[in-house]
Amino acid sequence: MSFLYRWFAGIPAYLWSGWGALASLFLLVAGWEAVSLAYGPLVLPDPAAAFDRLFALIDSGAAGTELALTARRAMTGLALAILVGSLLGLLAGLSLTASMLARPIVTVLLGTPPIAWLVLAMLWFGASDGTPIFTVFVACLPVIFIGALAGTRTLDHHLKDVATVFRLPWRMKLVDLYLPHVVSYLFPAWINALGNAWRVVVMAELLSSADGVGASLAVARSQLDMDAALAWIAAVVLTLLAVEYLLLEPIKREVERWRPVEHV
Amino acid sequence: MLRARLSGVSGLRHPLWMCGLRPFFLFAALSAVLLMLPWLGFLGHGLPLPAVPGGPFVWHGHELLFGFALAAMAGFLLTVVPEFAGGDEFTPTQVRRLAALWLLGRVAFWSSGVLGAGALAVSATAHLALLGGLAWLAAPRLWRDPRRKHLAFLWALAGLAVCIAGFYADALQGGHPARWLYAALGVFMMLIVVALSRVSMRIMNHAIEEAGIVGVEYRARPVRRNLAIFCIGFFTLAEFFLPGTRLSGWLALAAAAALFNLMNDWHIGRVLFRRRPLMLYGVYVFMATGYATMGLALVFETGAAGAGRHLLAVGALGLAIYAVMSIAGRAHCGQPFETRLWMPLGAALLAGAALVRALTAWPGADILTLWLVAGLLWVAAYGLFAWHMAPLFLAARTDGLHGCKGTAIP
Repeated sequence: MSFLYRWFAGIPAYLWSGWGALASLFLLVAGWEAVSLAYGPLVLPDPAAAFDRLFALIDSGAAGTELALTARRAMTGLALAILVGSLLGLLAGLSLTASMLARPIVTVLLGTPPIAWLVLAMLWFGASDGTPIFTVFVACLPVIFIGALAGTRTLDHHLKDVATVFRLPWRMKLVDLYLPHVVSYLFPAWINALGNAWRVVVMAELLSSADGVGASLAVARSQLDMDAALAWIAAVVLTLLAVEYLLLEPIKREVERWRPVEHV
Repeated sequence: MLRARLSGVSGLRHPLWMCGLRPFFLFAALSAVLLMLPWLGFLGHGLPLPAVPGGPFVWHGHELLFGFALAAMAGFLLTVVPEFAGGDEFTPTQVRRLAALWLLGRVAFWSSGVLGAGALAVSATAHLALLGGLAWLAAPRLWRDPRRKHLAFLWALAGLAVCIAGFYADALQGGHPARWLYAALGVFMMLIVVALSRVSMRIMNHAIEEAGIVGVEYRARPVRRNLAIFCIGFFTLAEFFLPGTRLSGWLALAAAAALFNLMNDWHIGRVLFRRRPLMLYGVYVFMATGYATMGLALVFETGAAGAGRHLLAVGALGLAIYAVMSIAGRAHCGQPFETRLWMPLGAALLAGAALVRALTAWPGADILTLWLVAGLLWVAAYGLFAWHMAPLFLAARTDGLHGCKGTAIP
């Protein structure tokens, strides 16, 4: 109950603290406007034109359909990566040998550009949904794996010993000791991966699919329609911002509440 | 009674010259009323205003910014600089010279339509000399302070000097000088953010103590303040060089968001709803909504920019000056905090004036009536202030002290 109360009581203050972010976003839009003023709309249309087009896309329903499709692909790939990456990472973290073995492989996975995976995926899956989903999966996997690995490797042994000495029941050990620590590593990794997934899926669609936001971007490019291209980019970025700041950041704060935080 | 108070005012020993804020806050209070009444006469009945370069609207803006607001700023600086940076208080002679420059500026500008360029040049000299004199008095002390944390006041003085110099350069060359007034309003907004950060720490924490709230402390943190000042400055520059563009609109929206963000410092619980904290908070509310209105007007190309500008001028500037003059004015004349009702009432009247003035942007609104109502509310607010505060500025201190020394505000 008190948890819920604190949660809801904190919402207005959290939302109000968003003004700072909004201020810097407006400065960014002002910079965009300045570039478009200096170089003309052929190089960069002004924000108003892009937003006008975006509203038109939303009105016609096109934005919703395409975004939903892209989101489904990104989320499927991400969910698979979270499942597999977290499990493997946690397991690898339990054994020193396994983590030693995993390090170089993760480096290889991280070092391989997503576009290389995309080429492979196109050969394996063709123009089906499998291509973007697989690319997202492979691009997110190492990030999550490393987070999970670090989570288990950095567990405080003293705390573990204390728990053993006091004969804490296993449930308590899991909920109060292991879980908060591991989740505080896993969660940032998942959020990182979400940003990754959202970027990679658009790229994969641009090159391989006939629908989705990426495909719409490809169409805008082939028609030299700058307004539409920027509108789609704005749609993608705004969706990501909304998910990150309205959904994930509050959860992240709650999860990491036990950490000493330095306030700005 | 008034005559008795004014007798001997020419002498250096008259209480009016005891402290820099006395003459200047008196000028500010009286000019707030006396500058608005002819303006309302002009709007309502077409009564003539002093002919000045740029016309009646420039007269209105120039007088309220470089007459009313500048006087309040001079009084504020003459009082707080010795307090913040240490050193002796400024002498009655120094205060009187600056006051004379302010009066000369009024006379010269008002007569510039009749007397021509000569009077304009005199007015420019008087205004710049007033700012120069303030800087001359304040700069060495602010600079001597080892951490130099109050230098922002000097930058504000410099910014205003640039605006005044530009205004008169345009006016002397026959151009339309209004753009310099807009820029000066921006400088005043930045000055308010700087000044209120100093004032609010005392007022808020005193209010917290007074209310008996424990475990809460108010701190005006520089991070958010600097972002707000940066955004306002950026907008002011953009509006000056690229007036009426969407670019300045986005920057105005950034300034509004940065000011809403600044309010985070203030959200520390119910102490905010006490009289004095609420007045100071109201300044930020008007400043933020003013920039938001201007930003939306510029981005969506509607005609509401003037309404936004007056939310800044009447709401933010007018209310900030009212709040600071009524809090500091009493404290530095040796009086305790005002507890009578006229003070919050005046603040509410000013808030009403700002809202009514902003309503003129409403489609189909009866603009003239709203203008007049807003002006009358303004006159009523500052009339109340002058009625209650002017006697204080003219009388000797009752606590046996001399000069500006503040009463025991913690």
